[in-house]
Amino acid sequence: MKKKKNNNDKRLMVEIDNSLEKYVDMPLFEEKVNEANRILSKVGLPKEKKKNK
Amino acid sequence: MELPRYKIFYERSRRVFEFNSVGPKGEISKLIRFTKMRVKGVFNLAFGDKKPGTNEIDDEVVSNNGDTRRVLATVANAVDMFTREYPSTWIFAVGSTRPRTRLYQMGINKYLHEIVKDFEVYGLIDGEWQKFRSGIMYEAFLVKRK
Repeated sequence: MKKKKNNNDKRLMVEIDNSLEKYVDMPLFEEKVNEANRILSKVGLPKEKKKNK
Repeated sequence: MELPRYKIFYERSRRVFEFNSVGPKGEISKLIRFTKMRVKGVFNLAFGDKKPGTNEIDDEVVSNNGDTRRVLATVANAVDMFTREYPSTWIFAVGSTRPRTRLYQMGINKYLHEIVKDFEVYGLIDGEWQKFRSGIMYEAFLVKRK
């Protein structure tokens, strides 16, 4: 059984939980992702200034 | 600057994060995911409430759990962790609704002086990206670690 996540454990503010791996490739937020893809294909990315070396 | 935030759980690739919001509505589990976009080097940031007993995530629900600042600070922490792992990627973000986009905008505005120390921040307006400036209503945001 999955352990309940404890917000009150102040020893660590971050903790690894590999059970979250199932969400990496799961179809989620599809509407938002499609909209983001649509916007990016239209406007692209900002023009970045080349950094002086 | 250390803002109050929730403890965050993450998996190895640091593309999925989870935390629990605690407030008057009880404990609400929230999931953050960075999704690879078709444009190379860009990930979409989305987060929402986990529906209990399912794998579904609702990114339109308004939790009203009285902890908006703490939630946004926790999401910002996830952005920090993600961009340490993938320092050359852009993060695209837009709210699921206009009010939510405005809420993100207010969050960026409030801490812009701190954010710009480590990140480049752009806002989308009239089909163009411009350096984020206070007082302008943007349609979407792009962030990249400097």
